[in-house]
Amino acid sequence: MNAESLKGYFDDAFLMGVSPMLTLTVGVLLLLLIEVIPSVIKLRSVVFVATLLSAFWNEILISRDPVGPILGGTYSADGASALWGMVFLASTFIAWIFGRRYYKTDRTFLGEHDVLLLCTPIGMMLMAGAEDLIVFFVGLELLSIPLYCLASFQRARDRSVEAGLKYFVLGAFAAALFLYGAALTYMDSGTLSLTRLREVGVDSTLGLTGVGLMIASLFFKVSVFPFHLWVPDVYEGSPTPVTTLMATGTKAAGFAFLLKLIFLLPSGAAPVIATVAILTMAIGNLGALVQEDVKRMLAYSGIAHAGTLLLVVAGALAGDPEGHATSAALYYMAAYVFTAGGAFGLLSWLEADGEHFTRLESLRGLAGRRPGMAAALTLFMLSLGGIPATGGFLGKWFVFSVAVRAGLTGFAIAGVLLSVVALGYYLRVIVAMYMEPELEGQAPPMTRRLSASIATGMCVAMVLVLGLLPGFFIG
Amino acid sequence: MSLLTWITFLPLVGALLVAFVPTTSKTLLRTITLGFTVVVAALSMFVWSGFENGTAAAQFVTESVWFSIPGETTVHYKLAVDGLSILLVCLTTLIMPIVVISTPGHIRMRVKEFMVWLLVMETGMLGVFLSHDLVLFYFFWEISLVPLYFMLGIWGGDRRLYATIKFFLYTLSGSLVMLIAAIALIYQAGSSDIAAVTSWAGAQPLAVQGWLFAGFALAFAIKVPLFPFHTWLADAHTEAPTSGSVLLAAVLLKMGTYGLLRFGVAMFPMAAVEAAPLFMLLGVIGIVYGALLAMAQTDIKRLIACSSVSHLGYVVLGMFALTQAGLRGSVLQMINHGLSTGLLFLLVGMIYERRHTRLLDQFGGVAASMPVFAFFFVVAVLSSVGLPGLNGFVGEWLILLGAFEASALFGSIAVTGVVLGAVYLLVATRKMLFGPLEREENRSLKDLMPREIGLMLPIVLACVWIGVQPNPFLDKTASSIDAVMERVDAARAELQVGQATSDQPVNMTTAARTQR
Repeated sequence: MNAESLKGYFDDAFLMGVSPMLTLTVGVLLLLLIEVIPSVIKLRSVVFVATLLSAFWNEILISRDPVGPILGGTYSADGASALWGMVFLASTFIAWIFGRRYYKTDRTFLGEHDVLLLCTPIGMMLMAGAEDLIVFFVGLELLSIPLYCLASFQRARDRSVEAGLKYFVLGAFAAALFLYGAALTYMDSGTLSLTRLREVGVDSTLGLTGVGLMIASLFFKVSVFPFHLWVPDVYEGSPTPVTTLMATGTKAAGFAFLLKLIFLLPSGAAPVIATVAILTMAIGNLGALVQEDVKRMLAYSGIAHAGTLLLVVAGALAGDPEGHATSAALYYMAAYVFTAGGAFGLLSWLEADGEHFTRLESLRGLAGRRPGMAAALTLFMLSLGGIPATGGFLGKWFVFSVAVRAGLTGFAIAGVLLSVVALGYYLRVIVAMYMEPELEGQAPPMTRRLSASIATGMCVAMVLVLGLLPGFFIG
Repeated sequence: MSLLTWITFLPLVGALLVAFVPTTSKTLLRTITLGFTVVVAALSMFVWSGFENGTAAAQFVTESVWFSIPGETTVHYKLAVDGLSILLVCLTTLIMPIVVISTPGHIRMRVKEFMVWLLVMETGMLGVFLSHDLVLFYFFWEISLVPLYFMLGIWGGDRRLYATIKFFLYTLSGSLVMLIAAIALIYQAGSSDIAAVTSWAGAQPLAVQGWLFAGFALAFAIKVPLFPFHTWLADAHTEAPTSGSVLLAAVLLKMGTYGLLRFGVAMFPMAAVEAAPLFMLLGVIGIVYGALLAMAQTDIKRLIACSSVSHLGYVVLGMFALTQAGLRGSVLQMINHGLSTGLLFLLVGMIYERRHTRLLDQFGGVAASMPVFAFFFVVAVLSSVGLPGLNGFVGEWLILLGAFEASALFGSIAVTGVVLGAVYLLVATRKMLFGPLEREENRSLKDLMPREIGLMLPIVLACVWIGVQPNPFLDKTASSIDAVMERVDAARAELQVGQATSDQPVNMTTAARTQR
């Protein structure tokens, strides 16, 4: 590659397009630098937040004035990837702020924690914007490797280590699947570029096997049946702030790319994808129904939500020429980031005082002791259940709109009926907080946390704004 | 801001205000809540007096853009009132202050939360009746589940958790099927404005109307509740605190019948004509089965809950008779049922507060110790069984008239329901109020307080007023019902034409055969 051809790569459009990732990288380097200078260690939080904010600002600029394909067409900095980027940044912020006072014995390693955490949105952005299978894979690894470390961050806690190990082994397996699939696709069509692949089309058995393997690997990342088995254990074992990130950001990144990759399948595959979606919803919801631990319940609920989003993917495949599926998925995911983020965040607040405080019976009588926290958790539960005035409701409306428009009405009806089951367990949380008497000696202590309160307030506000004034986010 | 916006959202403002009042000042909490509900009631009287009887068009329209569904239609915030909703809106606003005044008797703990939910519920219910945009309607429809869920779950009876979850999941499953129907409808009609959707839907062939109608009707049938979806009601009614039961009977169940009328009969007339026999059958089964269930009850509150199933059977029967008289009676009977059953629940609540039991065999001769209570109870019972001169008579008469016009068989079965209704309510009255005053506990019962009398008087007056002079109420609804009937008649004509054309080829071939 000579200097002339490099010029085409590194122009203004390139700088603009990668500016969010570039900002984050600078932030990561700064954080590493701060670690070795004891006198400025207090600046860590400032740098972290400032990095996220400026990356967010860059994403806003891109969403207003999309750059388009850069890096020789391997990455696309368009409106959708910018909006996905905002979702990732919000998810990272929530995971970070709820993690502030969460760690006790591992506080000395908070620097490493923040560095690893700040790497993940870069990976997610690469995944969401990738137009090339290898670029996607780099993003995937950039997200996954820090997450493996973060999942086992509480080294003194067996379950955290176990979660990290499980996630690593299965994640490595999924990564291998993806690479194998990409290799088969390349063998078939001689290109790794998504744009080219879409033009040429994949119709040989070899190519379709490759695409199938890649989709299976993504199903693993976004916790879709039958690749969901790791989710409950890993979500429960990981430190809760990290779980927040896995449940929201990682899932969003996986779906962002899935919505691009899915078009390599023939549209006749839509009913198959929709069936998988319904099965995922069924497994997630029925699994959650019997849980006594709210954290584990939310893990299963995360599987169910992945199923709902997969219905959008099926809708996109069945016929959605104008990309409404992407905006529906974005809206749903944005609502989910703040809803599940807030819910997991509140659990991390309770859990920091003792691991058993996330059990359903510990929540009993919470409304009397901590009315604000109980009200916020109620709102999050209603939003997860898709009750109006919350972002979850409109997200559900848009998702099922896509499915109905694509002619998947039967699947949509099955989906909404499964979400009745979902209300069955979301309501149990509300019942415990408001309607059941407190159990002696089970109540968590009343710790106050400013940062977590602010974060909760932000999540509540966003859930309500997404539910009442969607005009802000559409268009 | 327009009048209807004020009416709908003023209670919500009240709820926010109440949330900031200290928990301990219970009187202040009640006063603020009462103040807001009274103001809303007063505002609704402006709507009542300014309402034009001569038109079926939506009135007091307020409209602005809410948001756009990606790639689809623009959703509007559109509130309006017409002949189908005016009575229900005023019933809601007027019953709310009464409910608030009734609360000191049975809501003693967590008063603040209760007041908040009460006010949120008022916004939800009014929103359902006033929305003229499908998305907005669905929004309010589902949101109104939440306050009752809390009311039942926190302040309910012993089996409240079972009842509250059953109620929520039951009604939600119907609503979610409606969600899919609404999405499909909006997508195909290209608009979510109810007037636009209605005119689109009326022009569709039966096959299209049928599916959409089924999706909507299921949700409303569960809410009404129509046999065989009625099982949640008995539990919810029995376990709910008095004020919850009153609101459930007076307003929330009416959301189901109102929905059947606006989104069933009026929106999909052809499907409604085809489905009418089924709905009349279910209505009649509800009438008789509800009455038989009520007869077998030993708990007076459960008895009234079962009688609700029976009475709402009349509403559905009248509606799906699809005649002028039937529809008018049906709309009026929604109000009547709200008044008389609401009154009965209030009375049962008052005696329960004194006696702490609702079992019929624990009473007897209460009329001697509580004469005023007995008077009101008898009035409520007579209004409920349809004594001429009280409201129930007018509604039931019109409904039966309409039912006979449509089908003599269903009409005659429904008439037996009137007799059964008289039997179970009068038997219960006798067991409770009359006979010897045997039990010691019943001797010392205190009669009603002025507050309790005061809160029931308006309902009794309304019962008498509608009974003696129903025309002002019927006139409000007349034009809108005429418009619905026009659509139904047009649909009938079209169905006949359709049948004739599909018959024709057959006739021609037989004619050809005979020629040969």
